[in-house]
Amino acid sequence: MKGHEPSYSMEERRTLPSGEEEFFFDVKTSDLEVNMGPQHPATHGVMRVLIRCDGELVTGAQAHLGYLHRCAEKIGENVEWLQYLPYTDRYDYLAAMNNNLGYSMAVEALMPGFEVPRRAVMLRTICVELNRIASHLVAYGTYGLDIGAITPFLYAFREREWIQALFEKICGARLTYSYIRIGGVFNDAPPGWLTEVGHFCDVFEEKWKEYRDLLALNHIFIKRTANVGVIPKDMAIDFGLTGPMLRGSGVDFDLRRDIPYMAYGEAHEAGAFDVPVGEGEKGELGDCWDRFSVRVQEMMESIKLVRWCLEMIEDGPIIGDVPKVLKVPPGEAYVGIENPRGELGHYVHSDGGKIAVRCRVRGPSFTNLAVIEELMVGTLLADSVAIIGSTDIVVGETDR
Amino acid sequence: MGLLEESLDDNVLTTKVDWLLNWARLNSIWPMTFGLACCAIEMMAVGAAHHDLDRFGAGAFRASPRQADLMIVAGTVNYKMGERVKRLYDQMPFPKYVIAMGACATGGGPYFKYGYSVMKGVDRIIPVDVYIAGCPPRPEALLEGLMKLQEKIKRTPVVRRPANTI
Amino acid sequence: MELQAIYDTLTAAKVAGLLGCDEPRPSNKKEKDPGRSGLPFLMVDPAEIVPLLTACRDMPLLQFDLLIDLSAADPAADGEDLWVLIQLLSLKHRHRLAIKACLPKSALIMSSATAVYRAANWHERECSEMFGITFEGHPDPRKILLPDDWDGYPLRKDYEFPTEYHGISCE
Repeated sequence: MKGHEPSYSMEERRTLPSGEEEFFFDVKTSDLEVNMGPQHPATHGVMRVLIRCDGELVTGAQAHLGYLHRCAEKIGENVEWLQYLPYTDRYDYLAAMNNNLGYSMAVEALMPGFEVPRRAVMLRTICVELNRIASHLVAYGTYGLDIGAITPFLYAFREREWIQALFEKICGARLTYSYIRIGGVFNDAPPGWLTEVGHFCDVFEEKWKEYRDLLALNHIFIKRTANVGVIPKDMAIDFGLTGPMLRGSGVDFDLRRDIPYMAYGEAHEAGAFDVPVGEGEKGELGDCWDRFSVRVQEMMESIKLVRWCLEMIEDGPIIGDVPKVLKVPPGEAYVGIENPRGELGHYVHSDGGKIAVRCRVRGPSFTNLAVIEELMVGTLLADSVAIIGSTDIVVGETDR
Repeated sequence: MGLLEESLDDNVLTTKVDWLLNWARLNSIWPMTFGLACCAIEMMAVGAAHHDLDRFGAGAFRASPRQADLMIVAGTVNYKMGERVKRLYDQMPFPKYVIAMGACATGGGPYFKYGYSVMKGVDRIIPVDVYIAGCPPRPEALLEGLMKLQEKIKRTPVVRRPANTI
Repeated sequence: MELQAIYDTLTAAKVAGLLGCDEPRPSNKKEKDPGRSGLPFLMVDPAEIVPLLTACRDMPLLQFDLLIDLSAADPAADGEDLWVLIQLLSLKHRHRLAIKACLPKSALIMSSATAVYRAANWHERECSEMFGITFEGHPDPRKILLPDDWDGYPLRKDYEFPTEYHGISCE
């Protein structure tokens, strides 16, 4: 790290009419390199950003990753198909249900003619959407913490605890579920569970308005985030951003609606959900506030989807005919689904055996994070925290 | 003075000072904000309203290791992160405590066999006081781990510490 | 648009480097063919990857404006090739394209796609440290996930797990 080395040289001297002497100094400054992370409360885990700044102005930023590299892809090539499922929980630990779903769907794509039972599809959708709410609640709360608002975090975790309790009832785990299995789900909803989910939806709808007013429409918050970290449309596309980051820049694209999978196509036709897109309401289109606002609105859309599923769910089997020791037919497939953070893709390659030949994970956080190196240049140092927070990364997924 | 000091050696007074200092210490353990992986989310849940770590005097998460007493290693440590963990531990002032939260920090956890870059337990680089099982441990488990650490602190001699320890 | 239609569009525009389609086929027990399930891939020549990606991005019928993923695969330890896998997505036409290029292990060099899609930057860095592929013309060819002094390419099938790192035992 370079030090701050001002050197003063006497440039000019003149005598004032009063007899006093006046000096002019040429103050030389040098750029300062600030190391942010890997242990830093605002990096959402163990990411490190090397920031070069000229006074308060950021002139360069370099992200260093790999502080949580856990070899998920190598493990995928060494353990059996079903054994890999718990590892999918752990790369994006805020949205474990979504990861289970992405992996299961990729493996199901390799099994010709396999169809997931209807009840399982509905249970999957309910869990995935509840998990999306839980994940956005963390994004909401921690973004407030980054910017200096502690209260929203405490509120957000109150509702999140309820969702986790719901998950605990259906699968026994609070954070790493492994609930969505290859072929369906592993456990039917216990008696009364669906009613409780409906009750949660009713309560959350009321709370959601409170949340929106508390942080998203808070004047101080708007001052900190509007017009900060603007990602124009073409830049978002060039960097391959997906999810709320892309929609925050005004691109109307959601995999659930545009390349539908599971029951989402049907749900959209029934008008069960809309896709919120950033509109530049409080500042320029594509700023931090827009991205945040998209997430806040998505929570409500998820509630609508859960309600639609609760109406459509019917009795039936919850898992298709999948053997305990699964042998997947040879072939390869890439399946991408909409994770809370963007497109989560799995590329799986089977040679017909019990173990995958290659299991590639395309994490949305990884690609979404790449934009900050360019985004942070030219902003103020205090805004860099707002920019990193608005990308809503999970370091487990950037590093895998 | 020699007579008085010798008589103080087994006196009730020194044990009382120990008790007082330990009581103060164990009820104001300030942990460091140091989330690594999945367990960090449960650590956040412990800090939030529902489980409320503040009840045990350990809710003041400090961002700087210089102000912290306790390092909760919440998550997988890999080799790249390992040297940072060591450096952060060295920066903490004494007395300092470490809780290894979860299977990964305890012994590599699910990444033990094929995780080429995962350190097989954080105790290979820093001393650990309390290990918590689970992947990730429930918030209640972390609270119990904290209470175990408090029990340990309660038993620590402060005034009559052996000469070769810090 | 289905893969065959994309292939035909690209052939009609005389784009270089197309080698064919790798489509799923049912298994055939008589000919001892295990078949191939899953989704189709477009086979391309790695030497022509940059003009091909440019064509995919710029042709109005295709308009693949998002590079979703760029990675590689090592199908067999004793095999001769590595596969480079690229996933593209079109926001306008709402279709996907999966590209596969076989790169011989003896010469793991291909030109970088960063000039076409800036999203390729980090993906190529990861790919190069995990498989040892050199991307010519990459603006920042450092390691990204592993420490700078890491030996070997972990995702290759012949990778040997380390026994010790900086004095810390790995077993």
